[in-house]
Amino acid sequence: MTAIRITGGAVHDPANDVDGEIRDVCLNDGKVVADVGPEARRIDARGMVVMAGGVDIHAHIAGPKVNAARRLSPEERRAEPLDRTQLLRSGTGGLVPSTFATGYRYSLLGYTTVVEAAAPPLAARHVLSELRDTPMIDKAFLILMGNNQVLFELIRRSGGDVSQQLRDAVAWWLEATGGYGVKLVNPGGVELWKQSGGAVQSLDDDVVGFGVTPRQVLEAIGGAVDELGLPHPVHVHANNLGVPGNADTTLETMRTLSGRQAHFAHVQFHSYGGKPGGGAGGIKSRAPELIEYLGEHPEITVDVGQVMFGPAMTMTADAHVSAVLRDLDGGKWLNHDTEVETGCGIVPYRYRAGNYVHALQWGIGLELFLLGKDPWQVMLSTDHPNGGSFLSYPKLIRLLMDRAFREDQMGRANQRAIRRTALTDGLDREYTLNEIAIITRAAPARRLGLRGKGHLGVGADADVTIYHDRADREEMFATPRYVIKAGEMVVEEGELRAVDDGVLLSSHAGFDPTVDGVLAPLFGERYTVAFKHYPVRDPALREPARVVEAGVR
Amino acid sequence: MPEFGPVTCAGCGLLCDDVTVDASSDGVRLRPECPLGARWFSEQLGRSDAAPATIDGEPADVESALARAAELLRGARRPLVHGFEGATVEDARAAVALADRLGALVFTGDGVWPGAPALALRGASTATLGEIRDRSSLVVIWREDPQSTHPRLLERLGFAGATPERALVVVDDRDTATTWRADGQHRWPRDLDLEALIGLHLWQKGVAPPAGNLATELGRLTERVASAMHVTFVYGPALNAGAGGQRRALALHELVRAMSHERHVVTLELPDAPGSRSADDVLAWQSGYSGQVDFAPGHPEWVTATEPPDDVDVTVRVESGPAGGVVTGPVWIRTAAAGVQASGTVHRLDGVPIALQAPLPGDAPTAATLLRALLAKVAP
Repeated sequence: MTAIRITGGAVHDPANDVDGEIRDVCLNDGKVVADVGPEARRIDARGMVVMAGGVDIHAHIAGPKVNAARRLSPEERRAEPLDRTQLLRSGTGGLVPSTFATGYRYSLLGYTTVVEAAAPPLAARHVLSELRDTPMIDKAFLILMGNNQVLFELIRRSGGDVSQQLRDAVAWWLEATGGYGVKLVNPGGVELWKQSGGAVQSLDDDVVGFGVTPRQVLEAIGGAVDELGLPHPVHVHANNLGVPGNADTTLETMRTLSGRQAHFAHVQFHSYGGKPGGGAGGIKSRAPELIEYLGEHPEITVDVGQVMFGPAMTMTADAHVSAVLRDLDGGKWLNHDTEVETGCGIVPYRYRAGNYVHALQWGIGLELFLLGKDPWQVMLSTDHPNGGSFLSYPKLIRLLMDRAFREDQMGRANQRAIRRTALTDGLDREYTLNEIAIITRAAPARRLGLRGKGHLGVGADADVTIYHDRADREEMFATPRYVIKAGEMVVEEGELRAVDDGVLLSSHAGFDPTVDGVLAPLFGERYTVAFKHYPVRDPALREPARVVEAGVR
Repeated sequence: MPEFGPVTCAGCGLLCDDVTVDASSDGVRLRPECPLGARWFSEQLGRSDAAPATIDGEPADVESALARAAELLRGARRPLVHGFEGATVEDARAAVALADRLGALVFTGDGVWPGAPALALRGASTATLGEIRDRSSLVVIWREDPQSTHPRLLERLGFAGATPERALVVVDDRDTATTWRADGQHRWPRDLDLEALIGLHLWQKGVAPPAGNLATELGRLTERVASAMHVTFVYGPALNAGAGGQRRALALHELVRAMSHERHVVTLELPDAPGSRSADDVLAWQSGYSGQVDFAPGHPEWVTATEPPDDVDVTVRVESGPAGGVVTGPVWIRTAAAGVQASGTVHRLDGVPIALQAPLPGDAPTAATLLRALLAKVAP
């Protein structure tokens, strides 16, 4: 492996309190090192910005839901085909690129680690197979647990407390699937929707037939994840996504997990005022309240889920939301119910600048970014591809860094919506490069418990992105000058030079193996897959992997 | 041969993974019983090991056969990769990689080219077997005979014994093994299926079709649906294959969508081969398209043809059965039987990925191993 010295660049490494300092970064054997010898390849980074490789904490890139979206939208694939070369596999683009194209395009954007944020555990084999065909990035996936009937039963038995059995079951599931963390989507609500088309009105609603409430699911599974010390805290997609007035639910969910570490996903979709059922025209922003709450609760982090004007592909385990969008949009709709565990809905969508609700969503996302006091708490995401493609990150970065550009874009959006946000209240903040480094790599890596990611300190993974320091921040972040992955130069001047397979990132927490005796009969009653055959053990799917032990957070 | 299990049976798309196999001298028996599964295991256990490969029908070693196959493929102008009847996910990944490098056509079936699937036009509502078993109070089987093609389907959907709160009805004008098990049957000729689906859709909107025998049957079926909060439609090639298949499938998905405003409605598609779902899924994630893809332009292009192209000069066929192998023109190379001598993953007909085990030893390579070796020879 080639030793590399990156010299003369302005280094932005906020995890190590380095803010634009001109200094060398040395790489050897896939790691950042203190120094390298004179034989090392020298990269002249004068006039450039040096950051750790990007880390996407919340995206949808692999698994049955993503693949169903590909099948649902062949017309959308044709826009950006990718030709095969001696080095690269061919592929297709659009909002849900083929797997190889996904890996290549993340790499061309300077990202080196991506988290698939919602995988049904039952589909782990599928997710792992797809991730094996997604090169260039290290990847992890979060397993869905918020509507798992087996866990409901364990929670019911414990009266909602965090029991040893529940902790063991959560750890067992991670071990069985290769998952990295735990995701709760609309806890209890997906089960209600599958039962009767119902929705959660209150966190204390009964999940009919299971003797638990959404609040108990949050407390028990969130508590189990916390007590296990998993590297990433419980990752929450709160109840009532997209519903006017859902900020009440979101704040109540945050209060329910108060004192425990938690990450809330795509909070833009959960920051709405107005009355449920009161019509789209009554929806308004409550982003300032959420930001205020975050300021008082450092144990909570969020990613924004910014919507970008243009096409999107909504895909979610929260199938109820998709049914609503189906009726709003009238276009294609895909629903899939997964036994015991979850649901899934997909609707192609378009966010229009002139539409009141869409413009308000766009404005709320920017409010969350711009009002947030601590960038370590508010991370960049579009909930790819729900709010827009990951390829729109450079434009989003420009919106945050360039006030004039932002105001120009605001001027093109529905003015009634924009006036109902804080954007017009003299919100003149412009993100600095260091803040961008925080929200796109340092904070996600830290929140994921990935100690070797998101920074450039000695011992870190040699994942480095080097940008031309251009005034047009969109152009700058869209075309890194160099991307180095695991110590190898993989991108130069917008061209892929080498292929890295990337590794699977998994987590591990110890558990009492006798939990098998608890789970096996519950599986037998519910699943149509044998308990014995549920865990994924195949080395071809599980390796190469980096396993992060619990307790590192 | 000793009894072994529980293992997964890849005899049909159900991929039952609770099967114990008793292969004694008087034949193969399965527990739970399944005639199709017993036949499948019998075929796999009886695979010939006379020669690891043949070229023009003459015995050959694997290396020579690979070399000949690679030579054929290097000279191919219009190669086609197809088959996949018993393919694993691993086999399909290797096959699509080879097709990409060759600039080949890929077809994840082995019969009629189906054209554009209805799913890509409007979407669908689907569910895993357990969801249907636990929630659907009405299961409508549309002109399929799963008792023959997927013998344990009804058991796995919860219709093994008496189910007073649930109903199984069949739309079919034939008497089949499945109609004997059903609680009700609705008869009309197959060529009225599109009219029937549109009629049911209209009835959802309160518009009754013109009086007649079909209207009577549709009225009875509409009444059944109206009394159920969870409904499943099971369909397959009898609905969506052949002339008008796409239109009929589209009408079914439109009907399900319309019904979904009042109740929870899903569909379950019965594939005609156990490996086709896996191959379709792999093709979708590697290329972005499912079904039929042309890599000749240098990137994937979706093919919606209903006829195979007439300029194919070399085919690579991933085949299963007693003489399972990878076939390239006159070259045949024996493969291990996935699910007996080779482990792997196969996607069940409802999309759930299922582990295949390798309960018995074998010396033949997997199709995936052969296809990767071919790729290495074609594009060193």
